[in-house]
Amino acid sequence: MSSAFSGPILEFRGVSFNYPGEKRIVEDLSFSVGNGEFIGLLGANGSGKSTILKLASGMLHPAAGGITLWDKPLSGYRNKDRAKLLSYFPQHLDVNVPFTVREIVGMGLYPYDIPPQMTVDEALELVGLADKAEVPVTNLSGGERRRVFIAMTLIQGAGLLLLDEPLANLDIKYQIEFLRLLRRLKETKGMSVIMALHDINIALQFGKVMLIKSGSILGAGSPETVLTGVRIEQAFDVAVEIKKSDRGNAYIVHEQW
Amino acid sequence: MNKLLIVIFVLFAMTCPPANAGPESSPGRIVSLAPSMTEVLYALGLGDNIVGVTTFCDHPEEAKKKPKIGGMSNPSLEAIVSSRPDLVVMTTDGNPREVEERLRSLKIRTYVFKARMLHELPGGIRELGAAVGARARADALARDVETGLARSGAQGAGKPKKKVLFIVWPEPLIVAGPGTAIHDAITLLGMENSAARAKTAYPRYSIEEIIREAPEVLYIGKGSGMDMIAVSQGILKKLAAVPAVRNGEVCYVGDGLYRLGPRVIKGIEELAECVH
Amino acid sequence: MRSLRYWMFGAVTAAIFCLALFAGPRTINPFEMNGMERDILFSIRLPRVVVALLMGMALGASGAVLQGVLRNPLADPYILGISSGASLAAALGLLSGFYFFGSVSVPLAAFIGATLVSLLVGVFGWKRGGLWPERLLLAGIGLNFLFSAVLMLLMSLSSDEGLRRAVLWMFGDLSMADWTLIPSASVFVVAGLGIALWRSRALNALILGDEFAHSLGFAVQRERLLMFAAMALMTSASVSLGGTIGFIGLLMPHIVRFLLGADSRVLIPASAVAGGAFLCLADLVGRSLMPPLELPSGTVTALIGAPYFLYLLRRKDVLSI
Repeated sequence: MSSAFSGPILEFRGVSFNYPGEKRIVEDLSFSVGNGEFIGLLGANGSGKSTILKLASGMLHPAAGGITLWDKPLSGYRNKDRAKLLSYFPQHLDVNVPFTVREIVGMGLYPYDIPPQMTVDEALELVGLADKAEVPVTNLSGGERRRVFIAMTLIQGAGLLLLDEPLANLDIKYQIEFLRLLRRLKETKGMSVIMALHDINIALQFGKVMLIKSGSILGAGSPETVLTGVRIEQAFDVAVEIKKSDRGNAYIVHEQW
Repeated sequence: MNKLLIVIFVLFAMTCPPANAGPESSPGRIVSLAPSMTEVLYALGLGDNIVGVTTFCDHPEEAKKKPKIGGMSNPSLEAIVSSRPDLVVMTTDGNPREVEERLRSLKIRTYVFKARMLHELPGGIRELGAAVGARARADALARDVETGLARSGAQGAGKPKKKVLFIVWPEPLIVAGPGTAIHDAITLLGMENSAARAKTAYPRYSIEEIIREAPEVLYIGKGSGMDMIAVSQGILKKLAAVPAVRNGEVCYVGDGLYRLGPRVIKGIEELAECVH
Repeated sequence: MRSLRYWMFGAVTAAIFCLALFAGPRTINPFEMNGMERDILFSIRLPRVVVALLMGMALGASGAVLQGVLRNPLADPYILGISSGASLAAALGLLSGFYFFGSVSVPLAAFIGATLVSLLVGVFGWKRGGLWPERLLLAGIGLNFLFSAVLMLLMSLSSDEGLRRAVLWMFGDLSMADWTLIPSASVFVVAGLGIALWRSRALNALILGDEFAHSLGFAVQRERLLMFAAMALMTSASVSLGGTIGFIGLLMPHIVRFLLGADSRVLIPASAVAGGAFLCLADLVGRSLMPPLELPSGTVTALIGAPYFLYLLRRKDVLSI
């Protein structure tokens, strides 16, 4: 599915979007995502990150411009076919119904008439929840719940994962755990990931970032080139200093309060 | 050939009973679906034939001991069928139409008493009498009712129309409006029902309206075993401005007129007594 | 373990069905029936039990569907105002003496009332190309208040007898149940149930949220519309059969979820079966407690259902809240 493909798997061309009768949230946006990339979509709250992800997932339709997925127009896909290629994670995982872990992961099979390669148990192994298969999801912690849905995505076979602020509300330990899981899956399964976030320090550790402000891209590329003091101030309206730790990791120091 | 057909047709017509009439002989087992019907049936001497009554059938005393088949709006079909009735007697005033249809679909002979106004009562009794094979007694009862009605009507003739009001329940205030036997009786006695302009039979009436109507006589019905004298003190205080209360023209009467049955004559007499 | 539960579930409901047919208020021995008892069984008891089954099934399934569509564990078909709309229509029919269609007049009025309200709720809940759970809920609550108020107005203006009959209708009256309405009502109940079962996987996905449902490849608005239509069909058929009987739609899905899990593919049919059994039981109790007086089934379901519901709330593990 994903390994042989050489072109961009997702491409936005001059995409604009607004809700009917409201002002533009996204204006003339163009970018592309290559195979196997792990991109951080960084921006302040309300900068349009969620909207961009929803446009990419097909939940919202552009007012202008076009989106292609694996070189085919996104709107041209049948729902089920698109589901086998792309999956979208909302910010809030709000399930108050006691589905078991197995039942939720099993929903990843819904787009398929013939079951795909991976089984539910394999997916659970990969995310480390094999021993909790029969537990109702309502009894799990926030971090564990996220992993359940990741497992669901694995079965879905989605080559592109769109995650809307998955790290919000997680303690730092679980944020790191989650990011490590994603990287492991990317390396073993060849998934591509676009993740929206607003924590600048974490973004600095990504391989590639896109900095967003008011629905436009301030810059896309490696953090060294994109996340400069000037740009960050533009995006977040805060003056920062970029420092490097002894081990060579970049981090920011913001203005004194 | 034609003659034969005519004979056959006539025989056929004679043996097919029309819906509401019946054979001349008394049906052995009767179920009554209304207290008024129970009273009429007893008055026709058919008390022993009754095998099922409603939970509201309390006149005469013996009726209370009869097996119960449910309420008026919701009688139990099973109970009715289990009593194996030859005839079920019901009214249009209190029994739902669906019951009649249901009973007919179960092939149970049903008589529907259609009289609702006071002056229709004698005719209704006679018809019922014909259906249950008690013509003679029905005629006698009907004549009693007619005589009573005529007497009361004569009493009221030529007098100035007094304004009266019949209170069925004090709080909330419920009075007798048009379409009730009570209203008919009031009119018969040459009086005017202060609640005549109401839209329904037993409306919840506005106290203000009553004070404006200024009835000269107030009847308070004693029914349902409550101590009405005590219960009505509150409403009488509220109606203190009304001529009836000011002049002490408040009468407590029985529930004879609550049902269109044999006791209506007594009910009318009670109303008449108070005014003199 | 789960299959044992399924068997027990089925056995209990079958037992209740038999009880309802042969027990109270007078027991009928199926092997030694005389002519009159056979009459009672086939003309009175059997249609009554079938009506109770149909209504209970419709309400149980509707509750399961609605709790999923609205993502709200307190949802019940009547929360959207369908019961007050149907009651208003039925009361109008009863009080005006509407008899144009014979004995089917009032049920027909109730059905039309229920369907119209469902449409209204859908219209008010519609925005930007789809039905939204929050809007549906608010629209339903608003319409509920409106129709209840009109109904109360109507009832305060009506005569004693009409009032009594309207109230009895609303409490759920199965006493006059006969075979007339069963064929047409069955069509609606089966159709609604069929649609709900056909789209039960979509309902599972909808419960996860619109985003996940979309992500899994479902056309979210279309699925919601289908489910809503299925629920409206079933509920309308139910109120036309025997009035507004409450609690079944609310309670059955919770009990079934506790016993058999939350998967809609099991929840919907099992809630239907549980609802049917529960109503049969309630009807049996209602007509056997103080014979020959028959307590309206709606009061019995509420009297059994409400305390049980409150007990479940205290137990913490049963209700999915």
